[in-house]
Amino acid sequence: MQISARRLENITIFDVIGDIDLANSPAVRKALLSEIKEKKIPRVIMNLQGVKYIDSSGIASLVEGLKASRDAQARFILFGLSKSAREVLQLSRLLKLFEIYENEEQALSNERA
Amino acid sequence: MARRQLLLRLQLQSNPEVLCGVRGAISPIAAAIGFNEDDCRAITLALDEAITNVIRHAYGGKLGRNIEIQFNKLNGAGGEKPALEIVLLDRGAKPKPGAFKGLPPGELRSGGLGLHFMRQSMDKVVHTRAGSANRLRLVKFIR
Repeated sequence: MQISARRLENITIFDVIGDIDLANSPAVRKALLSEIKEKKIPRVIMNLQGVKYIDSSGIASLVEGLKASRDAQARFILFGLSKSAREVLQLSRLLKLFEIYENEEQALSNERA
Repeated sequence: MARRQLLLRLQLQSNPEVLCGVRGAISPIAAAIGFNEDDCRAITLALDEAITNVIRHAYGGKLGRNIEIQFNKLNGAGGEKPALEIVLLDRGAKPKPGAFKGLPPGELRSGGLGLHFMRQSMDKVVHTRAGSANRLRLVKFIR
């Protein structure tokens, strides 16, 4: 898995490529918490277009990001979910708790879904 | 025909880096014995979660401990449908009381989803402790 960050003013976009599982979910968690808790970025966006597989440890990292963003009154946004990633989030019954968009343009828009 | 037909036996070391390879192995096997694409994804998720649980809980995150996995095709004797049976064996810690009770999904909690995913993905999820070994049996019927 590769995770890289792009910064656009007060927004950080993480581009993730590869599977998110126990081997690399700690790196996802660390990256998210660094932006949200330490750098206090008000909007953090995860580009998951390149993620074909995510397991419960990956979901747990996203949950950590969501919780931290709520504490910091920031926005934590996902976009580009694959069928498999969407199914796993649905299975966790957490899908509706996340702010999710189809593409980057929508995620960058100031309009909430 | 034998009721249980061994398809594959894997001897793994507890290491999160093996997960990717195991996922890559199971999906074609499941497809070859008749599972559709959705079921193959479900089986892959269940197996990933089962190995993750062994690494995290039975072995406490320690690397290099043995995990044996057997993949069997059950040929449907005794009125049961044909199925894939996956058996994981480890010599890690005994699960804490209530560990296989599971936690409700849908809550903002960063843990406890693995067992829920296994149960949602498979028809049977049965853990037994025999001596110093854990045995987890996952079964999914071929529809």
